[in-house]
Amino acid sequence: MVTLATQSGQRSYLGMIGIALKMLMGDPVKYFGLVFGIGFSTLLMSQQASIFVGLLTWGANPVLDVRQAQIWVMDPRVKQPDQGQPISDQSLYRVRSVDGVAWAVPYARSAATVKTMQGNIAAVTLVGVDNQSMVGLPEENLANSMAAIRGRNAAILDGNTTHLIWADGRDPIGEAVEINDNRVVVTGLTSSLTNFSGLPTLYMKYSDAIAITPPERNKLSFVLVEAKPGIEPEALAKRITEVTGLKALTRQQFAAAGTQFIIENTGIPISFGAAIGLGILVAVVITALTLAMFVAENLKNFGALKAIGVTNRQILVMVLSQALLVGFIGYGIGIGGTAAFLYFGQADPSLRGFKALGEIVGGSALLVMVIVLSSAYVSVRKVLKLDPAIVFRG
Amino acid sequence: MTLVSPQAAVIDQVIKEFPSGNDVIRVLHGISVGIDYGKMTMLVGPSGCGKTTVLSILSGTLSATSGTVTVMNERLDRLKNDDLVRFRRRKIGFIFQQYNLIPTLNVAENAAIPLISDGVAWEDALAQSGRMLDHLGLGPHKAKYPRQLSGGQQQRVAIARALSHNPALVVCDEPTAALDAASGQAVMALLDEAADDPNRAVLVVTHDDRIFSFADRIIRMEDGRVIDDGLSQSLPQKV
Repeated sequence: MVTLATQSGQRSYLGMIGIALKMLMGDPVKYFGLVFGIGFSTLLMSQQASIFVGLLTWGANPVLDVRQAQIWVMDPRVKQPDQGQPISDQSLYRVRSVDGVAWAVPYARSAATVKTMQGNIAAVTLVGVDNQSMVGLPEENLANSMAAIRGRNAAILDGNTTHLIWADGRDPIGEAVEINDNRVVVTGLTSSLTNFSGLPTLYMKYSDAIAITPPERNKLSFVLVEAKPGIEPEALAKRITEVTGLKALTRQQFAAAGTQFIIENTGIPISFGAAIGLGILVAVVITALTLAMFVAENLKNFGALKAIGVTNRQILVMVLSQALLVGFIGYGIGIGGTAAFLYFGQADPSLRGFKALGEIVGGSALLVMVIVLSSAYVSVRKVLKLDPAIVFRG
Repeated sequence: MTLVSPQAAVIDQVIKEFPSGNDVIRVLHGISVGIDYGKMTMLVGPSGCGKTTVLSILSGTLSATSGTVTVMNERLDRLKNDDLVRFRRRKIGFIFQQYNLIPTLNVAENAAIPLISDGVAWEDALAQSGRMLDHLGLGPHKAKYPRQLSGGQQQRVAIARALSHNPALVVCDEPTAALDAASGQAVMALLDEAADDPNRAVLVVTHDDRIFSFADRIIRMEDGRVIDDGLSQSLPQKV
């Protein structure tokens, strides 16, 4: 008989990994149980985290929709973009007088009710943008929007939410609506980011918007500011606050404040945190239990392997490779499911703009790998301590 | 000049104790045994007499409480754990009562495990184990899985696994206990052939008196001591 020269090191590990994967895949119940368990928990974690982040972003979207301005100036008591606390018209001029301000324009944002010619009523967010610069309009189709809004009492509407006003799906362009007994005509459509209230957003010239809202002393919600070249927005915001006594935040700061408001004032973090926690729990329980069962059922075989001369290190590599394989496949299925959910969900206005951020994709991968590897290590400890002589004890 | 011992394995004055609660149970009382090359040695005796403990110590899967264990001129009681595992892998073949074949590997893969774990390339290992399976009459069953084989066939696969890396010592724990008489005889015939190799020793632990006729030497144990060593006149001569 010819004895082949033995090769050391890597080849022995590769060979034992091959045996380990055959051991795993030869037990389809546990193999598919592990793969789909990890897949389901990955789906739960990444999908819920994506929705959670998407919802948080809704709080920032009214700010993120206005890309032209670097600084938002407001009443010191305002905590988030949908919280309207008007400031005096003089505030606009005081802000313009601050050194370092390139330009400053008015921006009105308030709740309103529209009545259609068909007799329907719907709540909307009414936005008034600067008559000349049109700063405050969404970027999409901006040139057309600017042209469409020029006429008196003309309005452009967020095209993603027209069904909330006209459920029959009609083309709203040319439709007249009534706001506080004023006739307003929809002259164009735009696309704004989804906001937390979920209400359609109607854009008008600032002068028209304040003219049709109920009378009150002040109607200016925010002053939008651009810093002069070379001036840091953060520094300018501080200066505006010092000079005017108003709250001034950079676009990023105010967007973060909108997100923070949701975190602090809604049950969303708890409910989604619970769902994500459940995903982690499912992953831990399914992976740990199934791997533990798999190892326990193969204890005699592992004992025989140890007696034959398979080292503890080789057995550790075997079990870790089994765990990594189910981890990779399960994660792929789960993250694929999340991607499919988000991709096809874009057709639904309530899911528009949700996406799986790199942090979520990477974080889920890391979490899954930590779970499967730690579960594998806990399971294999019993084998590592196993006395190989056990195999002779019947 | 290297002096080669005529004995493949020797245990000398070996004591083995196991803890039991606050007490210690001594299962081997200073036992000394040598296993010869080119022979089939059987270790027999009633259940609990310590024969499996002797087999475990001789094969390096269990350490002795005291005494020396020498296998192929190597003092196992002095080897570090990794070296001991490597020694077992390369020098010893194991045959278990319940075969201990991995159910999700086919016959050829099961027989190749000692080679694969020692770093032989998968294809080469399968080729080498395949030749052993052919020799043992299992050629047509190479691609089958253990569940598709009879008990006797499974034990023959286990013999192929034990011999595939050409070990100098083969230890068998009750190899016929789970087999019918005919299958047991067939398995023992193969082990007997393996024992005819002058560079190999075969140690069989058994209480199956149907196979005593295959022994070149029988060591009887009782209560952790050797009570008889040699081929008893009352036993049938080797076939």
